[in-house]
Amino acid sequence: MLWVHVACSLLSYAAFLVAFVSGIFFLIQERQLKRKTMGVLFHRLPSLGALDRLNFQAIGFGFVLLSFGLLFGFVEVRVAFGRWWIADPKQYLAVAVWMSYLVLWLMRLRSTLRGRRVALLSILGFSLVLFTFLEASHIVRSAHPQL
Amino acid sequence: MHILVVGLNHRSAPVELREKLAFQQQCLPDIFAQLRDHVGLYEAMILSTCNRVEIYGRAGDLEGTINRLHHFLGRHGSIETSELVSRLYTRTEPESVHHLFSVASGLDSMVLGEGEILQQVKTAYEQARLCGATGKVFNVLFQRALNTAKAVRTHTGIGRGAVSVGTVAVELAEKIFDPLSKAVVVLVGAGKIGEVTLKRLTDRGVRDVRVVNRSIDRAVSLAAAYEARPVSYNQLGVQLLEADIVITSTRAPGYVLAQKEVDAIMGMRHHRPLCVIDLGVPRNVDPAVGSLDNVYRFDIDDLQSVVSHSHRERQQAVGDSQKIINEKVERFLAWWQEEGQACAQGQSASEVAAAR
Repeated sequence: MLWVHVACSLLSYAAFLVAFVSGIFFLIQERQLKRKTMGVLFHRLPSLGALDRLNFQAIGFGFVLLSFGLLFGFVEVRVAFGRWWIADPKQYLAVAVWMSYLVLWLMRLRSTLRGRRVALLSILGFSLVLFTFLEASHIVRSAHPQL
Repeated sequence: MHILVVGLNHRSAPVELREKLAFQQQCLPDIFAQLRDHVGLYEAMILSTCNRVEIYGRAGDLEGTINRLHHFLGRHGSIETSELVSRLYTRTEPESVHHLFSVASGLDSMVLGEGEILQQVKTAYEQARLCGATGKVFNVLFQRALNTAKAVRTHTGIGRGAVSVGTVAVELAEKIFDPLSKAVVVLVGAGKIGEVTLKRLTDRGVRDVRVVNRSIDRAVSLAAAYEARPVSYNQLGVQLLEADIVITSTRAPGYVLAQKEVDAIMGMRHHRPLCVIDLGVPRNVDPAVGSLDNVYRFDIDDLQSVVSHSHRERQQAVGDSQKIINEKVERFLAWWQEEGQACAQGQSASEVAAAR
């Protein structure tokens, strides 16, 4: 079952990467519209509406995948250690990422937040993803094997 | 053998003269017959648009043909030939070929780089061809002209950027909403420029339009023209909840939309993006509205500055366009020297033989 955990997690990261990139494009495009400086990129970037939709879908898609990835991760832990929760830093971080994207997705779904702020948060969210995925094991000791 | 053009355009002649010389489509077969039999053009093509009337022709004897063409145009427009001649320009190759390629590329247009002329040249050529007025040389000439125009438009910025307030508004709205055709547009006021902008949006497929005016009669008559819904002024607040794009164009002395009002409305709209296009002078919308999240506000100066920016960009593309045109003209002239002359001679000889 390890491969399900790995596949779902990696695919969810890919989806969050899409959300991250569309978030950056959104911020560039919105800045040009607000400041009325239509630069070279202005005609090449998609509309705010399209970027916002892509961002929202990518976050939703990534969240579902991450949920499965997490679930199968916990199963792995259970098999290896006989417990669900071993208080590993990787576990804390993964749950933090999962909760961040859940909150972000809900806020966008309920239109509490929209546009620029969602774009900003999806950029922040991906920084957390990167930290969890790449850096965590170098900084803190974790039982999680790296790829 | 020569390729020549005789004509006038928006720079050389006023509209009063251009309209007299305009050619009706249904008369073309007869006109082409006259050009062949009386003027002596082996091949001909007539470009008649609101900004120009030009006759392209292939002829043997230059002096006489030009003279006969001047008289022909004078008769056609019922104008004294002496009065007309000062307004006409006459060019022979290579200038005539260069002129045609420039015209097709939009370099000779009133609005630099406009794309409509390409279609007009294409249609005019098709009509001439269907009337049997073009032969081997003109078929090559006009195919090359159309290809040149396409190359110029693809490889340079000559046709890029919006050059009117209405099209700029459409371009901006397209960068916010996707798809634009689903957007709800509310027009406040009955200013001319607001109506023009509305027209551009409906041309792009916008269907849901509401017209708000202090005088409901005016709203009704304006709405009828755009299949829009007339709305009384006190319903403006409700309309703003549903609107995606608000165009204001009123002569009201104060603000029609204040920042506080729009702020409150944005909450009720669940922060759906709102594009405000303020065309009023004095301005109809508090500029501070633009600092609200998810509100995109543009006033007449913002739109004008995009227009003048596009004009400058197009101006800068003229050099590159000329380079492409010069190269294509040279290539055509090379063909004309090597093969065109020969096949024109052959064609004329056979025409003469057929006439006998």
